[in-house]
Amino acid sequence: MKDDSIRHPAAAREFLADRERARWHDSAIWWVRQKRDAQMAQLPEWETLRTMAEQIKAHTLSRLDEYLEAFERKAEENGVVVHWAADADEHNRIVHGLLAERGVNKLVKSKSMLTEECGLNPYLEARGVEVIDTDLGERIVQLRHEAPSHIVMPAIHLKKQQISELFERELGTEPGNFDPTYLTHAARANLREHFLSAGAGLTGVNFAIAETGGLVVCTNEGNADLGSALPPLHIACMGLEKLIPRLEHLGVFTRLLARSAIGSPTTTYTSHFHKPRPGGELHVVIVDNGRSEILGREDFYQSLRCIRCGACMNTCPVYRRSSGYSYSYIIPGPIGSTLGPSRDIRKHASMAFACTTCASCDNVCPVRIPLSEQLVAQRARAWQTGALPAGKRAAIGALGVLTRHPALFALAGKTLRKVFPILPAGLAQDNPYSRPGRALPEMPAQSFREWWLQNRKKP
Amino acid sequence: MKIGLFVPCHVNELAPEVAIATLELLEGYGLTVDYPLAQTCCGQPQFNNGDLKGADRAAGRFAEVFAGYDYIVSPGTSCVSHVGAHTPDALSKTRSRVYELVEFLQDVLKVERLPKPVYFPHKVSLHQSCHGLRLRAHATPSERMLPYQSRLERILALVDGVSVVYPQRRDECCGFGGSFCVDEPEVSVAMGEDRVDGHAATGAEFIVGAEPSCLMHMGGVIRAQDKAIRPLHIALLLTGRGGA
Amino acid sequence: MSRDAILARIRRHRPAEAALPDIHAPAFITYQDRYAQFATLIAGLGGHALTLAPGQTVREAVDTHWPAQGRVVDTTQAIHDEAASPHDWADVDIAIVPGQLAVAENAAVWVSQDALAYRSLYFLAQRLVMVVPRDALVDTMRDAYARVGFAEHGFGSFISGSSRTADIEQSLVMGAHGAMAALVVFE
Repeated sequence: MKDDSIRHPAAAREFLADRERARWHDSAIWWVRQKRDAQMAQLPEWETLRTMAEQIKAHTLSRLDEYLEAFERKAEENGVVVHWAADADEHNRIVHGLLAERGVNKLVKSKSMLTEECGLNPYLEARGVEVIDTDLGERIVQLRHEAPSHIVMPAIHLKKQQISELFERELGTEPGNFDPTYLTHAARANLREHFLSAGAGLTGVNFAIAETGGLVVCTNEGNADLGSALPPLHIACMGLEKLIPRLEHLGVFTRLLARSAIGSPTTTYTSHFHKPRPGGELHVVIVDNGRSEILGREDFYQSLRCIRCGACMNTCPVYRRSSGYSYSYIIPGPIGSTLGPSRDIRKHASMAFACTTCASCDNVCPVRIPLSEQLVAQRARAWQTGALPAGKRAAIGALGVLTRHPALFALAGKTLRKVFPILPAGLAQDNPYSRPGRALPEMPAQSFREWWLQNRKKP
Repeated sequence: MKIGLFVPCHVNELAPEVAIATLELLEGYGLTVDYPLAQTCCGQPQFNNGDLKGADRAAGRFAEVFAGYDYIVSPGTSCVSHVGAHTPDALSKTRSRVYELVEFLQDVLKVERLPKPVYFPHKVSLHQSCHGLRLRAHATPSERMLPYQSRLERILALVDGVSVVYPQRRDECCGFGGSFCVDEPEVSVAMGEDRVDGHAATGAEFIVGAEPSCLMHMGGVIRAQDKAIRPLHIALLLTGRGGA
Repeated sequence: MSRDAILARIRRHRPAEAALPDIHAPAFITYQDRYAQFATLIAGLGGHALTLAPGQTVREAVDTHWPAQGRVVDTTQAIHDEAASPHDWADVDIAIVPGQLAVAENAAVWVSQDALAYRSLYFLAQRLVMVVPRDALVDTMRDAYARVGFAEHGFGSFISGSSRTADIEQSLVMGAHGAMAALVVFE
């Protein structure tokens, strides 16, 4: 779970205090953006695919109730048990109920941002269930008692030395062995024991197909496949926006997902589940938890098109230089900065301002969510609800007054221009603008307006 | 052709030479240019900070001040992109008449030469500012699978001797971001440093762009950290003022 | 209970109707040599592709590629090992399984067989061999989805190369949880 009292500017300042490490974080993630670009360059139909993906999702949202009912009908015909959860608490109760009824005390989990959103792990652990996150990155942050810092690469903020130390402590690996292959294979051996001994497996859902009642889960590691193929109980948890109408539509989304997310032509495993495995059970929990409210907001419902690829984070220059832990909501970066404030503007207002409006995220988004517009629209909600810091509100208010009075406007500008140069040298450097390493602008003797009046104004 | 010169607040106060160069360039093509004294702010700061009413009031004022002109031309790409994209629909007539300087030279005047020949035997690293790039299609963003084009590159072809290069991350944001630069000074400066270093790594002597605020922000980083490369607004280069 | 409340809220909040696109209308990429595209791609994804020589059996090809072997289970044969539980495949070294089609754009093979009770075989085996008819190689996932069927208890998977992860400092490591290496045999 994340500390939602985080404010982005302060947390980012702390992260940037170690500039070398911040540079490393930036280039590690930029590398993924470059891999994504290389994949894009190989597909002439890239922009067509993005438009199609946008249209399919927009259509699905416009009839979401019908598609959910169709999905439920087909899934039940296939022998899948469908549950509905209005909020995080109901979701957690359903999952725990399924485990408790069967006496399950160990659960292997593959990646699911939804269960992070719902706080499932601490809920289950408090009730005596051992929860094992099986995605390598998630396992790492779980052992460190941290939240994921990225939705696709949960441990991207960590160096291999830190992971080596963690594994030495938790898994008994050799001290000082930082080799990623060695460390990964140590985790493989350890997690295989958990896969083989777990009483249930929980997976997220990438796509749910209304036409067939099927679920699609994509991983590179195969952890969702092991977790759902071995234990007798498979629980799949999905946000209600995961629907797509038809099987053939996967021919659009699976082409975009891994290319956008990790710069790979596909994930290793794109698995389709329609029925329980022989001798087993398959349960799906459809979760609302605020989504149906977002659906009703004209400015923000498009964020429900998101397929959680994380490309917006990888391209975001602010995210790369501040890390996932500088954001108060569990999903960081551009998409998190609209989803978080949609959920609670007062808690998450600082996320909406952690953005230069460079709009690169709009261009990488495989479902064409207008993210930068949404962030600015969230700022308007912050303004309306009083979630804005007082100083900012006053400054913008003052600007509004000046805007209506050209003479005052010119006077204010001139005052600024004349006062800055006579500031004591200390003050000129020791102010929040300059402290990180940036000089105040040089103040010219004359404004353009003054120059115009002197040189061009006809008498 | 009646042309109203729109000079963004920060250009008026902090970079008047950019506005003077813009004026001179337009006049060089034989145009009569007026600078309406009643102009103030286009409303972008209000808009970007969530004050939509304040932004709309500023936009309304802007439309009134510039009502009598056929074209509104500005050396500020970002303010132009705000007026062009984020003002109320009722002001659509203002929106369609507002041009950034290079857009105006290329799309309206369709210029094939500069008023005065410019010789600039220097290597320049192009800074595609985000709003020009992604809101005004000044170039093809590196994120898109579209045929490559660049306005700034095309206009610089009219300058003798100049050689144009790009930094490795072709169109990464410099970190200015309007009030972002004071809300998040550490991130803003970190981005600015990386951007300046990227431009400098090309071996260029100048960072050339069409958005004064980005250049001002990078210039602040350059001066505080004593770096060799210099920011240069394209209007200054196109009027032969860049060599200093 | 929550079901009806959720659906009612969605109905109340439905955005304006948006049309579905015709995903079959535009031309997508085609490859002059699909096999070459597939083989080049899978080499970077922890896998290898080969075509059987005339008269060569799958087993011969596998034996040549991976000489030292532990337990081998070959479900392309009519008679093969069976498992009483999905856990029984835990000690398999090499699994040889039929693939129904292969995709040139991403080196994926569609696996879904009706004769297999426990799919855990694909994921527990240390090494995975997928045997695909040479003429079942399509250009893109759009073509693939037009041809997939769910033979195996409603399960089917596109598998592309070996299990892998880059969760430690973006270093690509083969063999995260599933197969450490993959071999695709076209016949």
